[in-house]
Amino acid sequence: MSENILEVKDLVIHYETDEEVVEAVNDITFTLKKGQVMGLVGETGAGKTTTALGIMGLLPSKVGHVIQGSIKLEGEDLLRKSPREMRDVRGKRISMIFQDPMTALNPVKTVGDQIAEVVLLHNRCSKAEALKRAQEMLAMVGIVPERYKDYPHQFSGGMKQRIVIAIALACEPDLLIADEPTTALDVTIQAQILDMMRKLQKDHGTSMILITHDLGVVAEMCETVAVMYAGQLVEFGSLEEVFDNPKHPYTRALYQSIPSLDKDVERLHVIPGMVSDPSNLPPYCSFFERCDEKCDRCRDFEPWAVEVDPGHVVRCLQYTPEWNGGEK
Amino acid sequence: MLRYIVKRLLLLIPIILGVSAIIFILKTFTPGDPARQILGNDATQEQVDAKREELGLNDPVIVQYVRYIGGVVRGDFGESYRTGEPVLSEIVPRLATSAKITLGAVAIGAVLGILLGILSALKKYTWVDSLVLVISMFFQSVPEFVVALVLIMIFSVKLHLLPATGIETVKGYILPMVCVGLSSVASYTRITRSSMLEVLSEDYIRTARAKGQTEGNITYHHALRNAMIPVAQSIGTNLGNAIGGGMVLETVFGVPGVGKYIVDSITQRNYPSVLGGALIIAIVLTIINLVVDISFVLIDPRLKTTIISGGSKAPKKAKAAA
Ligand SMILES: Nc1ncnc2c1ncn2[C@@H]1O[C@H](COP(=O)(O)OP(=O)(O)OP(=O)(O)O)[C@@H](O)[C@H]1O
Ligand SMILES: [Mg+2]
Repeated sequence: MSENILEVKDLVIHYETDEEVVEAVNDITFTLKKGQVMGLVGETGAGKTTTALGIMGLLPSKVGHVIQGSIKLEGEDLLRKSPREMRDVRGKRISMIFQDPMTALNPVKTVGDQIAEVVLLHNRCSKAEALKRAQEMLAMVGIVPERYKDYPHQFSGGMKQRIVIAIALACEPDLLIADEPTTALDVTIQAQILDMMRKLQKDHGTSMILITHDLGVVAEMCETVAVMYAGQLVEFGSLEEVFDNPKHPYTRALYQSIPSLDKDVERLHVIPGMVSDPSNLPPYCSFFERCDEKCDRCRDFEPWAVEVDPGHVVRCLQYTPEWNGGEK
Repeated sequence: MLRYIVKRLLLLIPIILGVSAIIFILKTFTPGDPARQILGNDATQEQVDAKREELGLNDPVIVQYVRYIGGVVRGDFGESYRTGEPVLSEIVPRLATSAKITLGAVAIGAVLGILLGILSALKKYTWVDSLVLVISMFFQSVPEFVVALVLIMIFSVKLHLLPATGIETVKGYILPMVCVGLSSVASYTRITRSSMLEVLSEDYIRTARAKGQTEGNITYHHALRNAMIPVAQSIGTNLGNAIGGGMVLETVFGVPGVGKYIVDSITQRNYPSVLGGALIIAIVLTIINLVVDISFVLIDPRLKTTIISGGSKAPKKAKAAA
């Protein structure tokens, strides 16, 4: 048994529509150790959800395509599995919590049935046993178990998200992908949900990919961080490395963009410029236009991943021999 | 729930007043004397005048109208000019015949339409989808009586399988039901297809996939029930169309239903029968629509709060322990 739960290598995902090809994920590589929590951060449109859907095998049919790469779950390549085998993986070995809890539940089924469904799919048990498990799960996420007979519209947003989490955890998955689990909720509820997720993750030793915009959440919950920009992982490393010693100009800019209590809010740093259009990426570094550390050679190369410290990987020309001095 | 039903039934009042007013107005503008119509050309002018007096035709229209409405309230729809029988007792057995045909037609139309709609949603943008569209558009655009005549040609005249007219045997019901049913297939297909496509792109379908659910179960258990909500809503409207279509076809197929009764009564200037028939159909339609609306609650739990408690909020449930 390897100690890595997930190994993603050279993954490329495109959306192909009639009008254009969107290069949503461009050659990303990362590994996640068992029991670890990885933060996946980046601006909107960076390809975070696409990466997650790729791992789940849930890219929109006909439009979303994995062009190359491998996704290994405990050494088994998920991309080589049949649809049938993938159904056994989903919900059981990998679960996902989606961005919007308001729409993630079926409005015409009771929440108990919706939790029991995943239990019945992956365990040999009776409907009654599955419903019992559903009630246990509700209790675990802090909802009165007797409410298993209620319908989604009878719950608040925060409670719906707890139910979504209950569904994701009902079969005790090895890997949980949480796609911005709290962005749709208000701030006080966010903290409650995150506390609960951290506790459940610790108790069960679940490995987790936490997708978020919120670097504060990353600092609190994650052991490793992957920073995504225009479909690429521009920086990947341990929380300490990436936070205390950010190497990529984009990561550095991100930190300046977080409002902080001890800094003057007026100096809030917004990264100038627009995110590159993923349907029309340049043949050189896609952060070039917005970078304030670039050199004249940055236009000549698409930067490649460089391991600057053990386990700390950066995609920037600065750390390659091609670099000919910044203009800071 | 009771309040909701009462509120809906109160709607019957303007419907009855309106429908009868329209027919009364038409009546005053139509030439010809109903009394003469009843007694025939041999009757003397005195006899006709006496009949006019008896029927109250000499009173101002507004008096006739109020008198008629007064009768309706007591369940009296007047007597047929032709037979002298109460209109209500003439209509009730015919209503049963029409109801069988209409319900059969709605069932045929809905089942076919829903199946075709699901098929084209699952096979969207393929040739299957286009074929379904063409077929259902065909049956929607060709007038029902043309379809009726073609079916009579094939199944009665050529194959001798089904009777061309009459409902002496159960077989007699088949052609009228199919004809009326086919005309509504397109509408059910279209609504089912679009609502199915919409539902299949919902987030909760993705949640079901993320659980490892099979595509078959996702279509059947997750998508279908949600997709059926607008389809069920359209049954009420389609029912009205089916009754309208049925009226014409009852004459084509010689079926003794309310439709044929009304059409015959119009040619005979038998106003009480026309009026009674129209009112009874309006009342039946209103009640059916009410039943359809209440039955949504069975499909969509979200409506329970709005319908049963008449719009006010449901009692607060126990809060989560956190
Ligand atoms: N079904 C689709 N068809 C075409 N393009 C798509 C589709 N889904 C996503 N995209 C595009 O792929 C790119 C990456 O999208 P993705 O949803 O992965 O971003 P994200 O990082 O999750 O953003 P956010 O933080 O807003 O959730 C975007 O440019 C988006 O427009
Ligand atoms: Mg996203």
